[in-house]
Amino acid sequence: MDLWRITWFTVLCAVAATLLVLPPAVVVAWLLARRRFPGRALVETIISLPLVMPPVATGLILLMLFGRRGAIGRLLERIGVDVVFTWKAVVLAMAIMGLPLLVRTARAGFEQVNERYEAVAATLGASPARIFLTISLPLAWPSVLGGAVLAFARALGEFGATIVVAGSIPGATRTLSVAIYTYAETGRDTQALALLLVSTAIAFAALFAANRLVERRAA
Amino acid sequence: MIEVDIELVQGSFVLTAAIRIEARTAALFGPSGAGKTTILDAIAGLRTPRRGSIAIGGRVLFSSGQGVNLPPHQRHVGYVPQDVALFPHMDVRRNLLYGRHPGVSPDLDRVVGMLEIDRLLDRRVTDLSGGERQRVAVGRALMSGPSLLLLDEPLAAVDVPLRRRILPYLQRVRDELRIPIVYVSHDRDEVAELAEVVVLIDGGKIIAVDEVNRFHQRRRAE
Amino acid sequence: MRVTPHRHSLRCARGGLLAAALTAIVSAGAAPDAQPAAVTVSAAVSLTDALTAVAERYGNEARGSVRFNFGASNTLARQIVNGAPADIFVSADEAQMDVVAAAGLLKDGTRFDLLTNQLAVVVPNDRPRTFKSVREIADPAFKRIAIGDPAAVPSGVYARQYLQQEGLWDAIAARVVPTSSVRAALAAVESGAADAAIVYRTDARVALRATVAWVVSADRGPRIRYPAAILKSADAAAAQRFLDYLRSDAAARIFERFGFARAAAPAAR
Repeated sequence: MDLWRITWFTVLCAVAATLLVLPPAVVVAWLLARRRFPGRALVETIISLPLVMPPVATGLILLMLFGRRGAIGRLLERIGVDVVFTWKAVVLAMAIMGLPLLVRTARAGFEQVNERYEAVAATLGASPARIFLTISLPLAWPSVLGGAVLAFARALGEFGATIVVAGSIPGATRTLSVAIYTYAETGRDTQALALLLVSTAIAFAALFAANRLVERRAA
Repeated sequence: MIEVDIELVQGSFVLTAAIRIEARTAALFGPSGAGKTTILDAIAGLRTPRRGSIAIGGRVLFSSGQGVNLPPHQRHVGYVPQDVALFPHMDVRRNLLYGRHPGVSPDLDRVVGMLEIDRLLDRRVTDLSGGERQRVAVGRALMSGPSLLLLDEPLAAVDVPLRRRILPYLQRVRDELRIPIVYVSHDRDEVAELAEVVVLIDGGKIIAVDEVNRFHQRRRAE
Repeated sequence: MRVTPHRHSLRCARGGLLAAALTAIVSAGAAPDAQPAAVTVSAAVSLTDALTAVAERYGNEARGSVRFNFGASNTLARQIVNGAPADIFVSADEAQMDVVAAAGLLKDGTRFDLLTNQLAVVVPNDRPRTFKSVREIADPAFKRIAIGDPAAVPSGVYARQYLQQEGLWDAIAARVVPTSSVRAALAAVESGAADAAIVYRTDARVALRATVAWVVSADRGPRIRYPAAILKSADAAAAQRFLDYLRSDAAARIFERFGFARAAAPAAR
């Protein structure tokens, strides 16, 4: 049935988007939590932008960058990669919108880790990379996981940027939220309602899980 | 040989310390806030002095003049902080082995035997008593094969009867492993049992450097 | 507390000013309008440029002011049915006007066909092409073809109708990118996101980065009609004035300038 295909596609893209941003987000979160570097405030602000800007504006920026005439799109076209109006654009939009949530939550988690542990690990001969992998990350894990679930939930509900940069192509880029909009706009109200219920249920479950995870702290 | 000649600023607190210690065990003695922990942090590389130099056994760890500032993980300095800070997400064995470096580290069995923590190897860190934690922390620092051991108030968190029991372990470390030890204390008796040289600090300044006997004479005279 | 003479006169002045202001406000509200209220027109987005020009002339001739709400006709119809305030509705197809009529929201006797249009195939201007026949649209080089959502957006409905008639719909259906309006389809081509789009010929004329590859002739193409009507909730007098102006020769000249043709023999329904 169409409903389940759309749901499955949306969930798959949301998972892909979350996994895509997880490594860079975690690294950036740790850097913001533990290191001072020139341009730090700028990085913080840019990362948080998708959270505050209207999603369609973010979508427009992505369209301008990744469209065939865009700075990045132009290069990708040469190697035969199409982003705009494909599932890749869906994942991209979801990833960008989920990134700030993941970074902020993970950063808070890293900040909660007692710096003493990291200091002692250093005196025991652990390089910064090793400290990150064996001390900071394991101790901040519940927050990192919670941030990932938040990003996933955000990705599931993503609409504004997605519709601008990926459109509503049935079977190719029509996510749950985009389908609800399209069906409503074209008078297919019953279908829109059905999708609405499914998306609400999923978002509820995801948020519930996220809250439980973030509440649980490392010893 | 431990050579420290630094000036370190922390907010409104300024620490000036110039010491040369040839002895194997030195105690930093003084009231709280004197700057004792700050000196340990500087030697370990956790804090950077504004200027000066630090050298252990001729090896330069820090020199503002030569532009040397080794990061902590390259200093080979074992550190047992005041709050012990055993890694909570690892059991005792993994804590001990964390800093192990094949070729440089002593034998695990030897260290574990010396500190009598063999029964504790598979325990979770949270299940240990205060004294057990101290010993595990010392063991962890030793297992990284350091050329210098720094102990920050190793017996402060331990109640008096237990202190008498832990002291021998520290003496064993001193005698059997022959690693130089610098430790911080504000307890006279501790100092007497462990140190050969006592550095008196107060208000961020070195007041005196005495051999332990003279230190006691001085105290008795007060 | 005794009020000093100086303070007292200041207070009087303030009070007088306040009274004068209040009087002005109240009388402004009560007095008859010096200017008629603006007529609100919900119109198909393909009419954006033409209607704005007509309204500007209308305003310059001091006949009144017009406010527009442009959008895909199916979106507008939905809004009106759900209670959006509008005086006039100009749709890009009969179907969406029928939606509003079915909801009983049209003022009787005011509906008529205002304009006609033609479909066109456009391509990005950095990859210009001219078709020798419409069959070229099935060229695999067109990986993504943007058209208004054929489920309800008039330009998409027309496009599908036409391509089905030409036996080309099945060949390109998988490559169709449905957009929320005809202008969105045009934008997709202009940004390079789509390789081709089916829009109205009038849209192609205002496009900056798209060129025409094919124009669908009026006799082979779908019968495109833009019906217009006054809505029941309207200020009938003002709305009728503007509607009459839309049928005038002056307005017709402006429409022609943008490429629209008048619908033959406007028949009031």
